[in-house]
Amino acid sequence: MIQFILALIFTSAITIPSNAAEETYFCQDSLAKIPIRQDGRTKPLYVHAKEAIKYLTNKTSHGELSAVQTFCLLSLEGMGLKNNINLMARVDHVDVKEMLDLNEKENQVSFTTILEEAPALRREMRKEMGPKGIQTAKSKAIAKLINQAGLYKNIVEGQNWLLPAVTRDRVDWIPVTAFLREEKIIAAREKSDKPFQYVINEEVKKFEDMKGDLHKLEYNYSRANLPVVSLILTLLALASLTLFKKFTVALGFSLATILIQLSLISIRVFISGRAPITNMYETVMFSGFGALVLSMAVGHFKKEKVFLYVGLMYNACTLMMMNFATGMLSESISPLVPVLRDNFWLSTHVTTIIMSYGALALSWILANTVLIKKKFTGLNKQDDLYYSELIYTTLKYGTIMLGAGIILGGVWADYSWGRFWGWDPKETWSLIAFIIYMAILHGRNTTWISPKRFIPLVAGAFMSIMMAWFGVNYILASGLHSYGFSEGGAIFLGSFFLIQTGVIIISTIDMNLPWSSSSEKNH
Amino acid sequence: MDSIPLIRRIDKTLGSLKFAVILLGLFALFMIVGTFFESYYGTDFANRTIYKTWFFMLLQFGMFLSISFAAFQRLPPKKRLYGFYTIHTGLITIGAGSFITYYSGVDGSLLLPPNGPSREVILNEDVLKIRFPDEGRLVTYKLPYTGFSADIAREYENIKIKKYYPFADNKFTWVNAKGSYNANDPIHSSTYTISNPMVSQDFTLSLHPESTEFKSNLTMGPLTVHYLPKSLGPCFAQNNPSRLILWDREKAECYTPEERNISIQKAKSGNRFLVVKKEGSGIFSFFPDVSPWPVDKDMRMQRGSPLRIFSKKLFEDKPNLFLFGESTAYFEKEEKEWLYSKLDQNIPLTLPWMGFEIVLEKHQTAKVPTFIPEKVLPIQKNNEIIRGKVRALELEIQGNPYWVTNERPVQLLINGKKAVFYLQKETLKLPFEFVLTKFKMEKDPGTNRPASYESFVRLFSNDGPQEHHIYMNNPLKHQGFTFYQASYSQDQQGNYSSTLSVNVDPGRPFKYAGSLMLVFGSLWHYFLNFRKRKKKDITPLVAGTEEFTES
Repeated sequence: MIQFILALIFTSAITIPSNAAEETYFCQDSLAKIPIRQDGRTKPLYVHAKEAIKYLTNKTSHGELSAVQTFCLLSLEGMGLKNNINLMARVDHVDVKEMLDLNEKENQVSFTTILEEAPALRREMRKEMGPKGIQTAKSKAIAKLINQAGLYKNIVEGQNWLLPAVTRDRVDWIPVTAFLREEKIIAAREKSDKPFQYVINEEVKKFEDMKGDLHKLEYNYSRANLPVVSLILTLLALASLTLFKKFTVALGFSLATILIQLSLISIRVFISGRAPITNMYETVMFSGFGALVLSMAVGHFKKEKVFLYVGLMYNACTLMMMNFATGMLSESISPLVPVLRDNFWLSTHVTTIIMSYGALALSWILANTVLIKKKFTGLNKQDDLYYSELIYTTLKYGTIMLGAGIILGGVWADYSWGRFWGWDPKETWSLIAFIIYMAILHGRNTTWISPKRFIPLVAGAFMSIMMAWFGVNYILASGLHSYGFSEGGAIFLGSFFLIQTGVIIISTIDMNLPWSSSSEKNH
Repeated sequence: MDSIPLIRRIDKTLGSLKFAVILLGLFALFMIVGTFFESYYGTDFANRTIYKTWFFMLLQFGMFLSISFAAFQRLPPKKRLYGFYTIHTGLITIGAGSFITYYSGVDGSLLLPPNGPSREVILNEDVLKIRFPDEGRLVTYKLPYTGFSADIAREYENIKIKKYYPFADNKFTWVNAKGSYNANDPIHSSTYTISNPMVSQDFTLSLHPESTEFKSNLTMGPLTVHYLPKSLGPCFAQNNPSRLILWDREKAECYTPEERNISIQKAKSGNRFLVVKKEGSGIFSFFPDVSPWPVDKDMRMQRGSPLRIFSKKLFEDKPNLFLFGESTAYFEKEEKEWLYSKLDQNIPLTLPWMGFEIVLEKHQTAKVPTFIPEKVLPIQKNNEIIRGKVRALELEIQGNPYWVTNERPVQLLINGKKAVFYLQKETLKLPFEFVLTKFKMEKDPGTNRPASYESFVRLFSNDGPQEHHIYMNNPLKHQGFTFYQASYSQDQQGNYSSTLSVNVDPGRPFKYAGSLMLVFGSLWHYFLNFRKRKKKDITPLVAGTEEFTES
């Protein structure tokens, strides 16, 4: 069978290469657009290959080979076709390194080794977790390696790459090893000198005639890298505003950002068929976009340019997260859990909440900017009052939307679970955030919270939003024994809290010392 | 007229902004603690220690007062405050609605097994139910809703209710027997470890009549373990040709037919039979290859006879291990003989199956092995309680202590009358009945993840049967009750059971009305009377955002 396949592949080549292992067979990037089935969804091979290789190696390509080529070559191993890819997984945990005989500097280990060591790793993991099954940083590290090795094995056995097989009125998804059957290839050889590509293309054509070509849209969407484009546009807008003082240019770039983000969101909605707010990646994306739109609208009506800066700044933060914090925010589109499958409630309740996070993020950026500005160049009492008023404006939008969002959540919960309120951590934390903002807004009218205290309090209050947004998923959900801050999300949140607290302390602590510039202006 | 200033002072304090801020701060603080409790110790524990405690309720009542007084103080109405009045009225309405729900609502769950009707809604209160079947009487005692252990110290008809643990684990313990026994009564118990390089398992076997959790036999894969009275061991040691052993339960002694010269004959059917004479009891006829019990002249089995017979032949084909406390016997297939050996504590004995060895860990001649509940802090992992799953209540009846748990009811004779004690959740009987006719589960294509689950139910009420379809986001409303698809489970045979959550919420219209008022009040408050501050000589925050110039 192997000889036969090799002979078929090299049918058009003049000589069979002496070292077949370096051959890429028919694994070309042109395969990127073909539909495959994985994780309960049809998607282009490009997206799946990228996600799979990324999961295995933390990179989206392997040396000279693209993710699609790597995935394809590895899958062909299941048919006995050799390659010289030695895929390596990353290992960071010291004890796990030791188990795999790595020295301190090495942090990569080949999947062949992991598969060989899998029983020992599994035993060690069970031992580490004890009879109660409590996860530790080490057990998690081992579990990840075992899962990665599982996926690797699934790929090299040719079982992970599922191709469509169309028969009259139904589509079956079959592994590549079963898909490229001998007789099919022989028949295809009559018609084309690239029989493998021919067989795949013919089947894909049939599939697209029947089910449409949404996967091609997803392919183009994924290739277009819209988050990168949006980030560049936002940064250009910020630079035009603050470095070159060209407000109109900045406005132009901002509008362009909004257009690109709007298409990013719309395409995702089109691909997934639901509101664009079902995982962390999407909520971050939506809040940044929403905040920019809101800030531009408010800035326009209030005739206050600083809102544009605030909106851009927050949008830049979210886009940075989307582009660089890929370990924490997964951009992959996957099916929803049953209870969330209600587009009406999803798009009303979650959108309102995420928009409120965006609006409150504006108050957070504004408050922090005031604090830093005050520290470095000083602001007078009138400035304090004026900027408090601007912050108050953003808080108005934020708290109304947060309150409305919580209520809508209660109504949805009542409608689908039969209760308004169940003290679930997500709902409780959004209420905590709301109550904290309410305490600040009420306190603002007492002698306790003067404008001078109001601003740092607003800056700090956003930590409760971060807790409701990320903390519930990354800190509370992982629960017991997980404060080793081993996961990306917990590290991110921890540093956020630390930096924010630091900014507040440093900017407020010596405000009244004789040498600080702010006290000069105050007196 | 001294009291007027005091009333005014209370009024002023309760309605003041500072009081509101303090309450809001406390409320947030408790909730923060609650979410961390929830994460570590589980939802139930957080409810019992924070969310559903009197002080948290009191705090909410305080907020209710603060909101009401703040609104009263700002009367007569001023136009500027219309939004404010609406918000506060909304909050008061929501509070009233929540109180109505708390007071007269129902929140429970209904399990629909694959076959058979159900109408019992499980509620959230822990109760002790005592059933006296002879009198047809049922007594319910409501237990405290606490997160920690509670001393109850109540008495009901000589039944003392002592301690309640809402979260406990079973702890293995040896206790003294409650009854009295003769010296040669077979009442011993032992703990063994059986292990090979791959697996290791502890198990306890007991002959004690008071041991309810530990039995006298056990199967582990292909191996069957039998725990027998100590005095039977020596008979197993004899490789007597008939391989029969007689056991006299009254004297707790064994002998072989060969020892007493009892002849073994063959019946027409080919089965062996023998007739044994026991002093004072008469004559017993056995077909040892068919049954351990003797038969009477009509060939009826006499269960409960003082004499029994063992045919070792029946235990030679498959792996069978006989344990007699401190000794053991098994059939060695290769040698074709029964091997009997002493088991010394902590010294392993190799068995002929898959490299297993057995160790006697503990032998007790008269104590009873049992599980005693021990109070613990629960632990939650991946939304599942992994520690503290047991609820336990300590009772004292006729001077003896008993533990009733949610896993095991206790059954007793009190003054000759049967009484059964159950620790369970309070239940509610629906005025109609459900049958699950079909459960539909759809999965995401190519995966095992559920995409939707749906119950098809038949509802039997006075108006005859009705068919209904309940699924996520599509509840069923009937006679004031609302039924929601909540969860499901699957048994070994693959049959699905469905769980519906059941809800009656008379406070609902208040909550909806209050919510609407809240949202519209906020919009009104913020946008109908916003002040505009002139931007004059303001230091710009960042470059490029100086005075807005319209050109």
